[in-house]
Amino acid sequence: MSRESRGKQSEADGDGPANAAQRLFAAYETRPAFYDEMFEATGVPRAHCRELCQALDAMRPAEIAAMQEYAERSFLHQGITFAVYGEEGAQERIIPIDFLPRLVDAADWDLVERGLRQRLEALNRFLADVYGPGRILEDGVVPVDLVRGCPQYRVEMRGVDVPHGVYVALCGTDIVRTNDGFMVLEDNLRVPSGVSYMLANRRALKTSLRNLFRRHHVRGIDHYGRLLRQTLTELAPPGVSDPCIVLLTPGVYNSAFYEHMFLAQEMGVELVQGSDLLVHNGFVYMRTTAGLKKVDVIYRRIDDDFIDPLAFRPDSQLGTPGLFYAYRLGNVTIANAPGTGVADDKSVYVYVPDMIRYYLSEEPLLSNVDTRLCRDPEGLEYTLDNLEKLVVKMVGESGGYGMLVGPHATPEERAAYAEELRRNPDNYVSQPVLDLSVSPCLTPSGAGPRHVDLRPFVLRGNETRLVPGAFCRVALVEGSLVVNSSQGGGGKDLWVLSD
Amino acid sequence: MLSRNAQGLYWMGRYLERAQHGCHLLAEQFIIIEDRPIEQIDQSWRRLFRAAGRTPLGGHLDPPPDDEDFMLADAYTLADDLTFEPTNPNAIRNCVAAARESARQVRNVIPDKMWSSLNLAYIDLRDVEMETIWNDRPGTFYDRTMGAIRTVSGVAEGTIYRDDGWHFLQLGRFVERLQSVAALMDAHIALFPTAAPDDDADWLSLLWICEAHFAYRRLYSQGLRPTSMVDFLVADPSLSHSIRHALGRIVEALDAVAAGPPLRIEAERRAGRMVASIDLDWPDRDPEDDDATRSALQDLGASCRQLHDDIAAAYFNYEIEDAP
Repeated sequence: MSRESRGKQSEADGDGPANAAQRLFAAYETRPAFYDEMFEATGVPRAHCRELCQALDAMRPAEIAAMQEYAERSFLHQGITFAVYGEEGAQERIIPIDFLPRLVDAADWDLVERGLRQRLEALNRFLADVYGPGRILEDGVVPVDLVRGCPQYRVEMRGVDVPHGVYVALCGTDIVRTNDGFMVLEDNLRVPSGVSYMLANRRALKTSLRNLFRRHHVRGIDHYGRLLRQTLTELAPPGVSDPCIVLLTPGVYNSAFYEHMFLAQEMGVELVQGSDLLVHNGFVYMRTTAGLKKVDVIYRRIDDDFIDPLAFRPDSQLGTPGLFYAYRLGNVTIANAPGTGVADDKSVYVYVPDMIRYYLSEEPLLSNVDTRLCRDPEGLEYTLDNLEKLVVKMVGESGGYGMLVGPHATPEERAAYAEELRRNPDNYVSQPVLDLSVSPCLTPSGAGPRHVDLRPFVLRGNETRLVPGAFCRVALVEGSLVVNSSQGGGGKDLWVLSD
Repeated sequence: MLSRNAQGLYWMGRYLERAQHGCHLLAEQFIIIEDRPIEQIDQSWRRLFRAAGRTPLGGHLDPPPDDEDFMLADAYTLADDLTFEPTNPNAIRNCVAAARESARQVRNVIPDKMWSSLNLAYIDLRDVEMETIWNDRPGTFYDRTMGAIRTVSGVAEGTIYRDDGWHFLQLGRFVERLQSVAALMDAHIALFPTAAPDDDADWLSLLWICEAHFAYRRLYSQGLRPTSMVDFLVADPSLSHSIRHALGRIVEALDAVAAGPPLRIEAERRAGRMVASIDLDWPDRDPEDDDATRSALQDLGASCRQLHDDIAAAYFNYEIEDAP
């Protein structure tokens, strides 16, 4: 906000600091059931949030409204969108932003970061194992039928020599916090989205809240695009030193098209669609105005099913015929590798702590949510008996689709869901309703607590890298626990503080 | 450059130019409406629809003899058809929306500021209806929209990296300009013969639409002569809206994107022949012969449509005969 407009605001409101009733946090109350990211108790900010709270409390309501409005307007003008399928006129829906940041102190971040590195290492080894020798299956640590029967298991990947053994080059892990600490809710190992919103939230806040960044020693995240490009460069096929990298998008109708465009721009690589590529003699080329150009690395944002109609779904219009053949020959890198979905399947998830112990001989630093597999008879029975207390998810789905939140469902909805469950128990897992932590969000009546989670983005090339930040997802509706962008959730900036 | 991106930039250029041209035509039309006799207003609407190659809603433009208020109501309908009509792909709002949609698909190869200026132009236009602008001096709406599109062009000029993307944007813009000026002049001469015009105003309005008014005044001090105006708008390479100027820019852009071998591709040769037809053949025709002038203009328009196909065949949808 400019000095001039600040001046105008203060004229409208009268000069001097906000009076007590107008303060942003005047009516903000904490509740013991939910960990509050900013307050220890009502009126008592956590140590690392104290300065921010004071600064915000000293602002006039009009000034705060102007900051929020600035953030929203800049999103609209830049067209920062995330489409919600099936919603009328939502193809270019602007993703909601809440301008109040969530703060994470250095010690908490350190734990999250180490936990994520450990987890991604184990998951990559697991994938190399199940598509290779299958030791973990032979040793009975993970049930063979669970893996081989998983719809995301790609038998075509058996014995493929994956460049540098890196199956998952990028993941976006959902982490929640309850009064019991941090927990991993799910590993997104296929085509996780959200990193552009993390960067866009930061950019918007730097303009509206700029004086507060330096004071808080917020760690920078702007180098993500560079790290991503470096990671993809390292994963190029052997012998290619300056690889031609492209980002493969399903196109403008995809909900995350904005992100695809943004990342291509950040990396300085071409954004291509399946129809821009063709395969000849086992190599992949893109069609340019100066003829065909060889492509070495494809960061694909298309699901496995659609990347190559010859290898996977024959009706795919989005992919490139022969792409998988070129990949098998080792002439092109596809990141993430096809078949990574078997490791973020919601039933396989249950075994991730065991994988960490098995491959790394370490105890998991981040715990899992207590999850029951409905394929186990006890699990099914428990789930059916406690439906009103549980969240039930379909194993192969993501984005909050196909989910039942027991306590919020009607008895009819629960009965219908139970019937489905009995018919096809393998397809479901259940978890307790998590008391997700809350963080203050701007509401029409000052700040109010809203449930949040965080999705940091981890990269794996020759080494594991991540920027100190995350897309912090927010359930904008009071009391709601659903933070998914595809279900109308919003985002806020997350500040990782240095020591 | 990726063919699809080149194509997107080319179409962005075309749609922006088309929207701009539409604004010029309608802004001028609302000035004509202010003080001209009803028959002349009627004629200038005909010019507009002929140039656009569009049949007005209702199928004709002639007012019923017993309806005094017909022209006003009609102007509303006609302007609405050319500005907001959802089913008219060349309506101004649709052109801006199409330019923006092309831009959205190639956002990663254009400057951020260029995208957001175009996005803003679109957002300002998105929810406007004829009713709103009718009650608030319609002319100002077209001026404003023109200003927003000029801002996009200015931002592009000032920020874009001069690689092939820029040249394809220019190609689109000047192919469109050539076609629309040729079509407008053809329609104009059909309705307003060059010999002994009844009223200078019709010809002056043509100059205004082509942003040629002041330059013409300076260069042709002896007064308005339709034949000299036609020469000016067709053959003067220094006039930004002349056909010859557009051709010069097309040749430049084609030169810049040409891949290499000394043999010129079809698009370049065709553009070269068009240049020759103006530089060498145009002065030979009888300037008093409106039919000859119109047929030359129609030939230029037809060549330009073929040029469009040549460009698409060479750079966007080329056949892959033998991959490397």
